[in-house]
Amino acid sequence: MALQTDTPPLLYAEDPEWADVVPVPQYENVNPLAPIFYTAEYKDATDYFRAVVKAGEMSPRVLALTEKIIKMNPAHYTAWQYRYKTLLATGASFEDELRLMDVFCIKFLKTYQVWHHRRLLVTHLVPAPPSSPLHLVQLQEELDFIARCLNVDTKNYHTWSYRQWLLAYFNADALWRGETKWVERMLAEDVRNNSAWHHRFFVVFGSGVRADEEDREGVVRREVAYTKQKLSLAPNNASAWNYLRGVLDHNRVPYSSLTSFVQPYTVPRAEDAEAEDVLDLEDPLPSKGAELPCVGAIEFLADVYEQEGSGEGVRKATELWKSLANEYDTIRKKYWEYRIREALAGQTS
Amino acid sequence: MTTYRPTPTDSLWTETSTSQAETEEILAKHIPSADNPAQPLHRNAHLQWLVRNLIQGFPTRYTSQDASQPWLMFWTLQSLSTLQAGLDAGNKQKAINTIMSWQHPEGGFGGGPGQAPHLLATYASVCALANVGRPGPGGGWDQIDREKMYKFFMSVKQPDGSFTVMHHGEVDVRGIYCMLVVATLLDLLTPELVEGTAAFLASCQTYEGGFSSASQPYFSSSSLLPSPRPPLGEAHGGYTFCALASWVMVRSFAPPPEGVSIDVRRLLRWLVMMQGSEQELGGFRGRTNKLVDGCYSWWVGGAFALLEMLGVPGHHAQEDDVSEGQEGAHDEWDDVDDALFNRKALQEYILYAGQHPTGGLRDKPPKVSDAYHTLSCLSGLASAQHHVTPSSTRREEITLLWETDTDSPFDEQRKSAFADALAWVEEEGASKFVGGSGNRVNATHPIFNLTMTHTDAMMGHFYRQTVPPRMVRRRP
Repeated sequence: MALQTDTPPLLYAEDPEWADVVPVPQYENVNPLAPIFYTAEYKDATDYFRAVVKAGEMSPRVLALTEKIIKMNPAHYTAWQYRYKTLLATGASFEDELRLMDVFCIKFLKTYQVWHHRRLLVTHLVPAPPSSPLHLVQLQEELDFIARCLNVDTKNYHTWSYRQWLLAYFNADALWRGETKWVERMLAEDVRNNSAWHHRFFVVFGSGVRADEEDREGVVRREVAYTKQKLSLAPNNASAWNYLRGVLDHNRVPYSSLTSFVQPYTVPRAEDAEAEDVLDLEDPLPSKGAELPCVGAIEFLADVYEQEGSGEGVRKATELWKSLANEYDTIRKKYWEYRIREALAGQTS
Repeated sequence: MTTYRPTPTDSLWTETSTSQAETEEILAKHIPSADNPAQPLHRNAHLQWLVRNLIQGFPTRYTSQDASQPWLMFWTLQSLSTLQAGLDAGNKQKAINTIMSWQHPEGGFGGGPGQAPHLLATYASVCALANVGRPGPGGGWDQIDREKMYKFFMSVKQPDGSFTVMHHGEVDVRGIYCMLVVATLLDLLTPELVEGTAAFLASCQTYEGGFSSASQPYFSSSSLLPSPRPPLGEAHGGYTFCALASWVMVRSFAPPPEGVSIDVRRLLRWLVMMQGSEQELGGFRGRTNKLVDGCYSWWVGGAFALLEMLGVPGHHAQEDDVSEGQEGAHDEWDDVDDALFNRKALQEYILYAGQHPTGGLRDKPPKVSDAYHTLSCLSGLASAQHHVTPSSTRREEITLLWETDTDSPFDEQRKSAFADALAWVEEEGASKFVGGSGNRVNATHPIFNLTMTHTDAMMGHFYRQTVPPRMVRRRP
């Protein structure tokens, strides 16, 4: 591949290697509204790119041209698409392209195209399901690469969904195996990283059953215990409450099974809390620094009461919703009032 | 009395809580006070900024959006329409000619001349044409190659009911939303086009209640398994809007198959949870534990209206006569406001934090403004100011005038899509303007993000139907 040549002339218009191509200006018979002021270099490269596309040329120099455009504008999806077709047509090395993408993914972390291009390459390089140990090594390297990217940008949507795609698409036990541990490390870094919580759900519940996790009740117990622990560290963490609800809903476990855990989080800290040195492993208490009462806990307990279905349950739930509406979560006043109306309507019907 | 409370950190600082606290500190400076009076909508500054981009062009840093030229055009034109402004005939024609140069010979529109057809570019081009185009020669509308466009749509359809955004492109609910809007506007919906799409959309709902970018299909000897179909990526404001609006559109044309549904309760909960606290001026975030951003004023703030199509009550007012445009005290708001999110606070975020002093709107201070955030903040402002709701009366009026097309094998479905899309009305007396009616912007169509007038005109044309004139509705 002619990726690294000697310092090329700045403009294609001056490059003898491109003398055979007539550049195509962007707007030929149109005086455009809302034009962009391009640099001379960008305009020159895209003029030649349009000519190449028009002629249908697919050659090593087109790879160099598209690389140049992508470096100036990584969101140029046509350059990516044409580059991919050219890679296929010229029989270029997909391994080399993947190494180039290692650099691009870090540099252009936020663009859709770098991640999608990577997906196309990996799909070509490794069959699904992987049929040899070498493939598994390649995919493991891919997971390691993604992990490095996520250390730089911990909530990058494209990177996380790429990781999830890789796991589900190749669907090999060997790849899934380390995933729960890995995401636990991500959550240890930042317990509020919602992307990591989502990933955990994806791994444990979303995408089939992992080897050694056939005991689903045991898995649910493990996940509930894990989440309680994380909530005790930082009770005002919406990600953890959402995960807890997700686990219970997905497995049809009634919220009431957590009433005794939740209660201490719904009230201001007891005066004599310091004195209590009882360590309850089942239901860990809020950490010393926790700010109480906690909105997520009040909401949870109100749901427990509402699910009881009795008049008394709705009355107790309403009290809690009122406290959210008027004191602890006032921005959502309208929503909490709506919940009260709905619950009361459910009573009379 | 509004209470401002920083987001609790529980004395455990992480990357998330640090950036959250930094943002709250900056936003606090934008809370109106004696030295810092409440900002009105700087209409003229925004108009000048928009017109400068259109006429003089976009600065070099917009090169990153060279493949999104239809979006720059749509964001700008739609912002002008929302601000109740329009172009003169000469510039309109120039806009039409520019947009039509993006149409690809093989159907659909690309991000610029000679760029490959792309679902997102197709939406932005067609919606830009809704703003400035017209029927007849040179008007753009009749020069759209609908047949080839349909072929392009079908050529990117996937076995799981999803669509890639282009050939060799990624699957993503943004693409599905864009495709469905265009198909709905231009009368291109067919049963074959949307087959399996409802189930795909439903599979993108995550345990949190919002929607992700896509889901991963599992196949068993080439047939799609109903489960698992795991969502790829967490619940996200942009994808949630696109998935929900798509769901509403697909449903209007063809009821979802038995057993295919979305969890509306959980979705509602997730949407309301995206609203930031008083300390964050009531702006919306796009994911749990992320920062508020002006663009979610539309993606999340705008999604509440869509829920009304799914039976979640909106802001029904109880009184007949409510004067508009008063700088109301809290109780005046409460009288008319049954919205499930805090409309007042969202308007405050947009006005106080979303406006850039030199024109255009933005993510959050101290960022600069850009075309994308300008429209999403203005559309968000529109959805917080007005109550746009599906009206059964309006739907009946439209249905009565429907002229049956005996050539269409699914005329009833076309009629249903048409009537549902045009049944949205702006409820009179339910509008509320923080800072007074001088800050009023036009209402926007909850699905398409076009003005109601542009929507009526375009759909009437492409379906060859008469759309009854709109009268402002009084409350029953």
